[in-house]
Amino acid sequence: MAEPVRVRLVLPRAPRAELLASRAVEEAGQRIAFPRDTLAEVKLAVVEACLNAIEYGTGEVEVEVIAHPNDAHPWIEVAVVDHGPGFDPSQVPRPVLEDKLRSRRKRGWGLELVRRLMDEVEITSRPGMTRVRMIRRRGGE
Amino acid sequence: METFELKVADQHGKVAVLEVAGYINNEGGEVIAKEARKLIDAGRHTLLLDLRATRIINSIGISLLLEVLERILEVKGTLAFCCLTPSIAKTFQIMGLAQYTRIFPDRATALAELSSGQ
Repeated sequence: MAEPVRVRLVLPRAPRAELLASRAVEEAGQRIAFPRDTLAEVKLAVVEACLNAIEYGTGEVEVEVIAHPNDAHPWIEVAVVDHGPGFDPSQVPRPVLEDKLRSRRKRGWGLELVRRLMDEVEITSRPGMTRVRMIRRRGGE
Repeated sequence: METFELKVADQHGKVAVLEVAGYINNEGGEVIAKEARKLIDAGRHTLLLDLRATRIINSIGISLLLEVLERILEVKGTLAFCCLTPSIAKTFQIMGLAQYTRIFPDRATALAELSSGQ
């Protein structure tokens, strides 16, 4: 079986840095012939995870993309790590559009999109380190 | 890299069409929101965002589109989208946007239905 395709990068704290991670996902996914539309959803999820890491973290944001070329069931795994204060994912409210339209704060969709666009999401967070690990399988939801 | 461009393509019909190209992030979303506010204030209450040249959008950009939607709802207008990529369509579906906006597969269908008031 072919070896997984691994890409590691450190994002600069700069505008549009999240697109570098998105490009890494695209490149790795194409190398294992991951379906294009599914790959596009992974890219959106990774953009959101990176934006959160850039906004709430401090210092470097590390991204690792691993594309597993399992013949029948290729899958993509992405980890986004920041070194901010950390957070409790269970305390993040799920956004409701009706409420958002009435509220001055219309943001707060990032984590929900990550969870809904990926098949599995695991968040490990403590002061100094937050790691969001995401998996998407071919033909997932 | 994903250069953002916005063009108001139809200034005269009932429907104002905003052609959006590139990444809709905070900057792109601000440009759309600003142009949409101008159109709404000028009495154009049916806006169609044609996203055929947009492949990626983020939640900050979407939150700015929600500001446009809020304003449109205040004037009892219509916010519509067409030519969404499957991933952007799924994002809108996750957010529940179809409940408050109209989503069309292509611009011709959108203009036909929005112009006739359907």
